[in-house]
Amino acid sequence: MSVLETLLMAAVLSAVPLMLAATGEAIGQRSGLLNLGVEGVMLAGGLAAFVAVDLSSSFVVGLGAGACAGASIGLGFGVLATRFAASQIVLGLGLALGGAGLTGFLFRERYGLTQPLLAQGMERPFDGAADIPVVGLMLFGQKWFVYIAVCLVVLAGYLVRRSRAGLVLRAAGDSPFAVEAAGIDVSTVRILAAMSGQALAGLGGAALAIVEVGFFAPGLTVGIGFIAIALAMIGRQDPWLIAILALVFGLLRGAGTAIQLTDLRIQTELLDVMPYAGMLLLVVALGRRVRLPATLGLAYHRESRGA
Amino acid sequence: MWIGTTIRLAMLLGLLLPATWWSAAAGSAQESVDSVAIVIPASRSNQGWDQQGADSLEAVGEARGIDIEVVENAGYEDITPILLDLAADGVDLIICHASGYQTVCPEFAQREGVPMVVTENPDAVVEGLVSDYETQAHQVAYLAGVLAALETRTGTVAVVVSGEPPTWNYMTAGFVQGVHDTDPEVEVLYNVIGEAAYDDAPNARRVTETVIAAGADIVFGMGDGASFGMIQAIREHNADAGADEQVRFIDVIGDKSDSDAADLLLTSVLFDYTGAWNQFIDDLEAGSFGTVYTMDLENEGVRLLEPQIEVDDATMAKVEEARQALLVGDIDVPEIADADELAAFLESLEEGAE
Repeated sequence: MSVLETLLMAAVLSAVPLMLAATGEAIGQRSGLLNLGVEGVMLAGGLAAFVAVDLSSSFVVGLGAGACAGASIGLGFGVLATRFAASQIVLGLGLALGGAGLTGFLFRERYGLTQPLLAQGMERPFDGAADIPVVGLMLFGQKWFVYIAVCLVVLAGYLVRRSRAGLVLRAAGDSPFAVEAAGIDVSTVRILAAMSGQALAGLGGAALAIVEVGFFAPGLTVGIGFIAIALAMIGRQDPWLIAILALVFGLLRGAGTAIQLTDLRIQTELLDVMPYAGMLLLVVALGRRVRLPATLGLAYHRESRGA
Repeated sequence: MWIGTTIRLAMLLGLLLPATWWSAAAGSAQESVDSVAIVIPASRSNQGWDQQGADSLEAVGEARGIDIEVVENAGYEDITPILLDLAADGVDLIICHASGYQTVCPEFAQREGVPMVVTENPDAVVEGLVSDYETQAHQVAYLAGVLAALETRTGTVAVVVSGEPPTWNYMTAGFVQGVHDTDPEVEVLYNVIGEAAYDDAPNARRVTETVIAAGADIVFGMGDGASFGMIQAIREHNADAGADEQVRFIDVIGDKSDSDAADLLLTSVLFDYTGAWNQFIDDLEAGSFGTVYTMDLENEGVRLLEPQIEVDDATMAKVEEARQALLVGDIDVPEIADADELAAFLESLEEGAE
């Protein structure tokens, strides 16, 4: 396994939690909900998944637990943001801070001062076909959930872009009165979007904990949730574009590691900035402004036309 | 008129008396230390810098029968509110257990008159108020380097760090020098996960996978929480690799020999703060607080963990030989705290090897 092959493989694996969380956030944003608490949701999903795998020794159960944790938080967030018109900014920040604190507390309660690690890694179903030079490992050497995650994002992209449900979702964010006029309850649409979106964010946290690193630790996400929010915005809430950007982000991070293995002497601080600078360049190169849903972050009041 | 004079005198006394008391108290003995607090930047379950500092203090507290308060996850920002809270609780001594606190804590000690311990800032030492501890583990890291050079099968070892603070830099320089002195042909890969990536396990894992792909079969990892990302990368590699392709890990600070990482742990540069914490409490009680305590090979504040994986006697004899040479001063290990100096040092060794 060469350095280049390893970097390409790792870039795809590390893109999975990010693209799931960003896609989940994008679904919420499309409906008009801005959740700044993705970091907390990912941590909750990660902890739930780790404990579930620890108890059941099943990755499927773990991933399901992560998604359920995310969906439950999404339900709470959606209800508070719509039925009670609570400030989405306050709710989101509360989720980010509360999620970090609560998961740290629960982890300590359960595991004390130890740091358990998962004994077994996830299987790689297409490992036999990974001998193709350079891209073989990246395409066929991945753990099975990577393929599921890609399918989920492709499906989410299709639903958002092409389906009637996606049309309603987008309308709930851009023109909620049109949705209401069509006889559909905007709040219900947004709550369902929050649930499904945060289920994906929870699944992203689960993927990080049990698929990518193989353990949970307080603060494990180290800012991935916040990067996911930015990615959802610069990816114009399009899951397919988000997936590509997440992969580019992973590749740029890997490039920093590769550079350090060469004779080039570049300061670490500069290498740290590289993925972010690269993303900004990409956004500029794409040549189109970031467009946000018209009512993003605003509560919907049926009585007033001002969203 | 005499009333006015009396009031002025009383006010003057009111100002002078506390000042006189304070100047006397600053260098005097504290009858007994009843409570000590430690502020750590990250979680105390990271089995690294934070946990080792807190656990050592709790052990000291238990042995001496004093109250210990651990404030964890304090972060790397301004910790003044935490310090104010601890001072209000009346703790006798506060240990600021992070190089990031080396400015805020001495300032707070001067302002509030609470004795404090800082790290990596000997210039901040003030009699009766501020003490400092230095963890110069370069000599023990040198021994780890000797062991790594003797144990590598691929001829390539790696250093993976979660940042470039002085503590990590000292050990990197020592380790690389140890490798170089033992076998100049052994290649050392040096990789930084991030600027302050102490808990960045996902990236630690990716970086470790990369250095393994580049041929390293021994990874000297300095990461705190990020170390577990390195360990998982090695575990996953080892699960698929043959007996001759197993990668081994050299850890720092905490003892992971009882953890899930035990099967791949070659050794560890262990930090034991017990001696330092006891010394500071003794100093405070004796009225000699305000010193620099250096944890080193000689006082065993830093030592090498017995190899957890079978290593032959001849190899261990060479490591012991190097240890004795270090103790008598026959081997000089560079003390490099600065990241730029470290880069220049690594480059000079590389050029020398070529």
